[in-house]
Amino acid sequence: MKIVVCIKQVPATNDAKIDPETKRIIREGMKAILNPFDTYAVEEGVQLRDKFGGEVIALSMGPPKAEASLREAISVGVDRAILLSDRAFGGSDTWATSYVLAKAIEKIGDVDLVICGKQAIDGDTAQVGPGIAAHLDWLQATYVMAVEEISSSSIRVKRMHEDGYDICEMSLPAVITVVKDINIPRVPSLKGRLASNKCEIPVWKPDDINADTSKIGLNGSPTRVVKIQPPPPRHTSTKKIEGSSIECAQTLLRELKLRSIV
Amino acid sequence: MIAFTDAERKKYRNIWVVAEILFGEIQPVTYELTGAARTLADLRKSEVWVVVMGSDIEGKLESLFAYGADVAILVDNPGSSGFVDETETKIMKRLIIKYKPEVVICGATTRGRALIPRVSVMTHCGLTADCTGLSIDPENGDLLQTRPAFGGNVMATIRCSNHRPQMATVRPRVMKSPEPDPGRAGRIIKEDMLTSDSEKIKQIIDVFHSTETAYNLADAQIIISGGRGMKGPEGFKLLKQFAQRVGGAAVGASRAAVDSGWIPYAHQVGQTGQTVQTKVYIACGISGQIQHLVGMQSCDLIIAIDKNPDTPMMQIADIAVVGDLFEIIPEIIREIPNL
Amino acid sequence: MIHHIRNKIYHVEVLPPKQDSEKLEKDLEIFSNKYLRVMDSGYCACVTDNAMGLLSFQGTEIIEELDLPVIPEQVMIHLNTFHTKDDLDNILNLCKTKGIMYLLIITGDGSERLPKLHPSDVGATDVESVTSVELLKYINREYPDTFVLGVAFNPYEPEEHELEKMERKIKAGATFIITQPLIERNEIVDRLLEKYPGIPVIVEAWMSRKLHLLSEAVGYEIPENTEFDPISTLKMLHKLYPGCGVYLSLLGFKTQYDLIKDTWV
Repeated sequence: MKIVVCIKQVPATNDAKIDPETKRIIREGMKAILNPFDTYAVEEGVQLRDKFGGEVIALSMGPPKAEASLREAISVGVDRAILLSDRAFGGSDTWATSYVLAKAIEKIGDVDLVICGKQAIDGDTAQVGPGIAAHLDWLQATYVMAVEEISSSSIRVKRMHEDGYDICEMSLPAVITVVKDINIPRVPSLKGRLASNKCEIPVWKPDDINADTSKIGLNGSPTRVVKIQPPPPRHTSTKKIEGSSIECAQTLLRELKLRSIV
Repeated sequence: MIAFTDAERKKYRNIWVVAEILFGEIQPVTYELTGAARTLADLRKSEVWVVVMGSDIEGKLESLFAYGADVAILVDNPGSSGFVDETETKIMKRLIIKYKPEVVICGATTRGRALIPRVSVMTHCGLTADCTGLSIDPENGDLLQTRPAFGGNVMATIRCSNHRPQMATVRPRVMKSPEPDPGRAGRIIKEDMLTSDSEKIKQIIDVFHSTETAYNLADAQIIISGGRGMKGPEGFKLLKQFAQRVGGAAVGASRAAVDSGWIPYAHQVGQTGQTVQTKVYIACGISGQIQHLVGMQSCDLIIAIDKNPDTPMMQIADIAVVGDLFEIIPEIIREIPNL
Repeated sequence: MIHHIRNKIYHVEVLPPKQDSEKLEKDLEIFSNKYLRVMDSGYCACVTDNAMGLLSFQGTEIIEELDLPVIPEQVMIHLNTFHTKDDLDNILNLCKTKGIMYLLIITGDGSERLPKLHPSDVGATDVESVTSVELLKYINREYPDTFVLGVAFNPYEPEEHELEKMERKIKAGATFIITQPLIERNEIVDRLLEKYPGIPVIVEAWMSRKLHLLSEAVGYEIPENTEFDPISTLKMLHKLYPGCGVYLSLLGFKTQYDLIKDTWV
């Protein structure tokens, strides 16, 4: 079985600060981390490889420093990693990003399963996983909370929904996106980490994956961010509710109903 | 990608909503989005169309008109055993090519977030996830999509001027459901399922409906959270009851409560737990240490219930209820109609 | 532990390299130098466990990888509840083989990336979440007579709650206590000492000049420019708490190390 895990290096959003003048995110000094949801994808890839044999490859598109996240994947057991990095990829939205990743997966060749985290914490779109599946015209299953069975030709997964879950069986090749419930990602060991520092990580450019340049980067992206602004101020005053417990309960309930919360 | 010309753009008309259907019922998010679509369509002097894919739903379409739809496109799929992304994508793609909508809006639910990205790639369209605001340029029909980014630290406004249709998802409960007008009428367009629509190599083996309250804090719309003031695991049982009554609510906790062993760590909100950004956060007996506040202060509406009116949480809350939560919460639970 | 106090053995915190270090080899060398210096001075090196939820390498795996000497009286490992069951047992077994006997058992700080022990992992049936109490019970049951286990005391939390937790920690087998950083006399610590006269208590001394970093621990905002002299505060703590040991956090190895030599008199 040949598995590709797509990962993204993201800014640690808890640290995000906004420049009061330009209203832009101050990216300098912001820590870059492996997208937390992707650690579950990496772990699942490694576990499936350990059970069924084969190879698991980590793939990422990003600036050169995104290599650190690929090394992290190697340090927990991924066999090898590929970085997609080029100026021409810059400014890609989810449409163009999933196109680039899909082209790289085609280039890797003979891939049976692609695993993504359910979403990245910087954009929270959850669009790249299904986007890759669509570009490849493969089947997909999103919000996967368990891989119940897998063979060389099919996979059976448990998908999470707001109202419960379902069991879905589909042919391979396919793309799945995974949620936290699926496993407990291992933390890299010192030994693994020291070994990962010695690995070669090839960097692929648009030509290496035969990408159509009109479909990548800003030009290939149908969406445009036209404005960035701070969120509206929280509130100006606190509405205090006091009185007997019954009065409090009734007043609060009115407020909840007013806002269609109940 | 090659940008559309003005003439090409003008061929695309009307605002579409993809209905969310569960167990043969139209879900509330559909009405919320229909209301939002109505506003956009009025500005563009065009129509609201709702796409309904499912089985045994024909008799229930009138409600869509009451909430502002002009047209319901019904694709009856009697053999459907559950949500098949690929089948619904093929249907959507076919309908989009045939009818050319200007805008397609879909609920940011697990199904919507699986379906629409696939449709957007297949139809070469821009898509913006989890919009909290939608407006439209009445002149050229450009959809202005506002959404939080970087963990809610900024709001981004996004346009897809060069392509049609323009696609967006919106989370449930973000848009306000309009008042229904039962007298409003609309037309139904029936579209057949094609045999080629069905994905033969994918099957839904089983569907499990779980009434258990959502557990996953990140996916919840409302979080009811407890702190040291809950006094013990019993207190959290009360919050779980409360959450079940509210519907779609998850139970959160402060670090003090988790460290006391009252509730599992998966529920912890704050710097060393999860950062949440829900529509509503109800803090019960949480004093509001800095490390907790950073994890929840970007929630839209914060309600605090505490005996002590002077805690940091009660200061930052939009609504601060001063009183005994062990009396107030059971009273509220009693008063909320059982779903 | 009591002879650490009698023999004026400082507990010196040594932070292990972080997982996201961009110069890991260099950081390992720094760790190694600090650790060896503490050994040479006859103090006790205390290695933290993902402090503040920041992912770091484990003290045990560094000691193993770098083949650092373990003098049983001079090494203490922090161990918290954010591990998988396998990791926990690996750490405990490595401590046992290496002869590390002092463990500071804390609930610890979690993060998105850290796993958390489940009650069933440590055989706990009566709680929803594993705290230091369950971890203590587990270690004492599974590794009898192997380790000397200590726990943390936070005088900045409501006193009643904290003392009640301490009672459970002691019952679960804790035999020494380390406090949160003190910068003055603390009445709650005084009452702790009164309540447990037979248990060695080690007070933590904050050795950074940046006092405002303590804001979160103490629960109130300390202004960023607050003047703070760690060495004289350390001397004061020795006077205030002559029967207690002292745990030095954020000790400056370049600037302060030589100064502390004669402070404990």
